[in-house]
Amino acid sequence: MINLIRFIVFIFIITLSLSLKASEASNWLKQEVDKILIAYQNPNLPNENRFLLIEQTINNNFPGKSIAINIAKQSYKNANDETRSNYINLFKRHLALNIASLMQGYSNQKYKLTDSRYDEKNKVNYIDMEIYLDTGEMIVTWRVLKHKERYFVIDLIISGISLYETKRSEFNSMLKNVDNDLAKLNEELRKINESSYQKIIN
Amino acid sequence: MNKLKQLLIYFIIIFISFNLHAGASDDVKTSSGDFETSIFEDEIYDPLEGVNRAIFGFNNVADKMILEPAAKGYKKLPTPVQSGIGNFLKNLKLPLVAVNQLLQGQGKNAAESTGRFLVNSTIGIFGLIDVADDFGLEQKEEDFGQTLATWGIGDGFYVVLPLFGPSNLRDTSGMLMTMMTDPINAYAASQGEAWAIPLRTATNAIDQRSKIIDEVNALRDNSLDYYAAVRSSYYQNRKAAINNTDDSDLTPLPLISIEFE
Repeated sequence: MINLIRFIVFIFIITLSLSLKASEASNWLKQEVDKILIAYQNPNLPNENRFLLIEQTINNNFPGKSIAINIAKQSYKNANDETRSNYINLFKRHLALNIASLMQGYSNQKYKLTDSRYDEKNKVNYIDMEIYLDTGEMIVTWRVLKHKERYFVIDLIISGISLYETKRSEFNSMLKNVDNDLAKLNEELRKINESSYQKIIN
Repeated sequence: MNKLKQLLIYFIIIFISFNLHAGASDDVKTSSGDFETSIFEDEIYDPLEGVNRAIFGFNNVADKMILEPAAKGYKKLPTPVQSGIGNFLKNLKLPLVAVNQLLQGQGKNAAESTGRFLVNSTIGIFGLIDVADDFGLEQKEEDFGQTLATWGIGDGFYVVLPLFGPSNLRDTSGMLMTMMTDPINAYAASQGEAWAIPLRTATNAIDQRSKIIDEVNALRDNSLDYYAAVRSSYYQNRKAAINNTDDSDLTPLPLISIEFE
């Protein structure tokens, strides 16, 4: 009987601890998402400044450098320091432009964080955000990892489509087209970033 | 009658040929040593990439010139009108959804879909209002492509179909089967109202496109390689549909180390 009680207490503590971890991550995510939405909803903010604010928030919360390195892998290893550094900066801006552009479409919609769970095995939080659109609801899942007492968003999943996976596939395809030359990829990345930036600020 | 037989034989040959190709292309192994890739990239077999990119370019222009403006116009309709049209079109799909659920051994879901069809077609005024949701009869999508996948038929190679967009050999076979067996289309044709078939297809395309205007624009405007981004998104989306899951936990975890931060 005592063993059973011990077992129940143990399970209870584990469940409570996982749930607290998930809830802490949710609170953090809500704050960061709200920062971006507030930037969108402020009519007095010039578009350039609005994007800079959003870019800063995204750069603080996404492990842009790590994602960039993992996506380019071999080409990154083979490149020189200057090319690597340019690539990281361009990739971070690319990521910010992608997320800002996605969130721009939902900036006037209400949302709610509906579920959060902690994957003990991979040490990843999954946080579901329900966005209320005119024609129904949409679920966006955020994958959040804690590293050195900081949270990082490592992926966004919309309708089963992972942003990380899509970017990885896209960059692999482009790298093949430029013979895995990171410097050439940077040129392409600079062009698309410039065009995306003009669209987002105009 | 002879022509009908010829047409049927033609479709059967195409179908068998597609599935033979599908099976064969599944045997093709991409070597991860060629380039560092993981899960989805290795699974996407795209030997017709050149042709596919050309068709993709054409579809993209058609989308920008016709579908996107039509979808934007459709979005200006009052929300209840949009919902009504969307519900009506979804309801028309339900007989085939139920058939596919049965073929996949999902008896309970097939019963629910049949229930949805009956309730929405009657109380929901020809499907314009989704009252079945209130009865707890949930909307689920299944098609012949998903059924073939459940039966173990592989993707085959990736194809971009003119106007219809991204697909693969298996899903193209599934689409042909849908066209051939859809009871609503068959009824319209038998009544001499075949014009309703392309109208239904076009309205469905506009309705679906209107729901993803922002997402498509975000992807198109910010992609380094839009073709590769769409191809990857298509495969991920189909994989989730085949596994009948919205559960994001099953999407492969990015294999990244964030030690660089």
